Amino acid sequence: MKTSLGKRLLNAPCAVWSAIFIIVPLFIVLYYTFLDKDGGFTLSNIYELAQYKGVFITSIIYALVATAICLLLAYPFAYFLTKTSVSSQKMMVLLVMLPMWMNLLIKTYSWTVILDNNGVLNRLLNLIGFGSVKLMGTPGAVILGMVYDYIPYMILPIYTTISKIDNSLLEAAEDLGSNAFSKLKRVVLPLSLPGVLSGITMVFVPSISTFYISQKLGNGMILLVGDIIETQFKIPNYPLGASMSLVLMIFIIISIAIMNKFGDSDSGGVMI
Amino acid sequence: MEKENIVELKNISVAFDGEQVLDGLNLEIKDKEFITLLGPSGCGKTTTLRLIAGFLEPDSGDVLFGGEKINGVPAYKRQVNTIFQRYALFPHLNVYENIAFGLRVKKRPEKEIKEKVAEMLRLVNLTGLEKRHIDTLSGGQQQRVAIARAIANHPKVLLLDEPLAALDLKLRKDMQKELKKIQEQLGITFIFVTHDQEEALTMSDRVVVMDGGKIQQVGSPQDIYNEPQNAFVADFIGESNIVDGKMLRDYYVEFSGQKFDCLDKGFNENELVDVVVRPEDVDIVSPEKGMLKGQVTSVAFLGVHYEIIVDIGGFKWMIQTTDEHFVGDNVGLFIEPDAIHIMKKSEYSGLYGDYSSYSEEMDEMNEMAEEAAE
Repeated sequence: MKTSLGKRLLNAPCAVWSAIFIIVPLFIVLYYTFLDKDGGFTLSNIYELAQYKGVFITSIIYALVATAICLLLAYPFAYFLTKTSVSSQKMMVLLVMLPMWMNLLIKTYSWTVILDNNGVLNRLLNLIGFGSVKLMGTPGAVILGMVYDYIPYMILPIYTTISKIDNSLLEAAEDLGSNAFSKLKRVVLPLSLPGVLSGITMVFVPSISTFYISQKLGNGMILLVGDIIETQFKIPNYPLGASMSLVLMIFIIISIAIMNKFGDSDSGGVMI
Repeated sequence: MEKENIVELKNISVAFDGEQVLDGLNLEIKDKEFITLLGPSGCGKTTTLRLIAGFLEPDSGDVLFGGEKINGVPAYKRQVNTIFQRYALFPHLNVYENIAFGLRVKKRPEKEIKEKVAEMLRLVNLTGLEKRHIDTLSGGQQQRVAIARAIANHPKVLLLDEPLAALDLKLRKDMQKELKKIQEQLGITFIFVTHDQEEALTMSDRVVVMDGGKIQQVGSPQDIYNEPQNAFVADFIGESNIVDGKMLRDYYVEFSGQKFDCLDKGFNENELVDVVVRPEDVDIVSPEKGMLKGQVTSVAFLGVHYEIIVDIGGFKWMIQTTDEHFVGDNVGLFIEPDAIHIMKKSEYSGLYGDYSSYSEEMDEMNEMAEEAAE
């Protein structure tokens, strides 16, 4: 069927937008990846990445740990939230979303005030006689920052899928002999899987590419891919930065593809 | 031999947000019987079912199962299974796993599960569909899976919450027969909830007619139809002309300005009563031969018979007959003594049985239209 002119005109702004802000930048990244210092074609930028293998692995581990913690905290929270009254659900969802409307930099920076050697937490510890603890610059601080910043993206999709589960299914499970645990295992968990998968994606992707959190809360002691990429563009060494971005991007796309494979594509949920 | 009661409800009251849903309900359900809770929406029938299933606890009163009180026993420990109104099949499991669900929860060995599921699939005629996904099944097939899933657990009592409401008429009739067959085959108690009086009459050993959170009448389908206890039951089960009458003495009643012989007794002399005459029990004759005289105001052809409305002194009677009559005809009505059923006056007197219109809603709309016209 032929698309009418009107429809094509309506689509035009969207196409132009994605061309300018998505397709073109991708090609620019691709172009720089294979650019050598004299402007010719080279693969050396890719080979050079081998020495950053450690950073890539660290980043993956940090992102995995942050995602796992988010999941472990968010799932029970979302599950019990669906059991409360409608009005308190609305209130809690609002509270979960509230930090999402705040700037990530500000949120992260606020943590430095709390975790600093002379920060709120350490002063409190001193006050009750525990003495100072080094918090800033530890892996724990970075993970904390990631979890804090990204946990709403885990809670919301999980909460949405659980609250969409038809109550009669839970009654049916109970009717067939399921106690609370078995209901959770056999009905709620499998039916909320799409929400879990999209939550994982939405936390893992920003976690693996973050640089500000590790800079601020890691005190520069912990280097993640995001930090290296940022440095490369500051130096500036565009070709290396671009090649790292490309590899990271490919890795993320592969992870998302694997996640999508897990969840039945037709089972809903919020996929990005 | 008197069968034992499997489920007993004693003086049950339930209120939601201050609204009384069940009001002092007493009911005894016998082992292996097919009993139907029948009533309009909001009458408390589904609430009664949920009390037995264990999804709801009564505010007061006791639920007994096999003679033992089971108040507070959670649903998953009760020996009953439910077929839900919209089946509530698990969308993440295939047909086989849906039916196996209860057995898996009970950790039965794999071999037993396999045999049981195969047996259930045979019982409901779904053999070969084990691997099918739930949303690829038709409504009727889903219904069968729901039945198989429930009875795979060998419940002593099966609760059915309007299970056929979503099926079309012919399929519904087939499933009625099939459910009845399954019930006889398995020899378990069925407690069936419906608002469809025909369904209740065809399937049940006993029918419980409910309204306003109270039981209006319990009895065999024949009892309920032939000897309704009040105007509500008479109107809800089948069609009824219900007129005000006066019991002059035993076997003799006056209504619509005429005196009739009847078969009822046991009322006080000159006691005011409700008189029920079923539309199919009235003969239309010539005005001279009629016991009551009136004019035909509407004729509808329904295939098997005509439905004719006759105005007798302002009261609209419905008559079902195979003879054709025309609007405007002056006719007489002939009523045999055994066609007349006398009921005591109740809170429902005067609410039902006049065929100016079929529903209260229509009455209200007409009244509003009249008011608007004034």
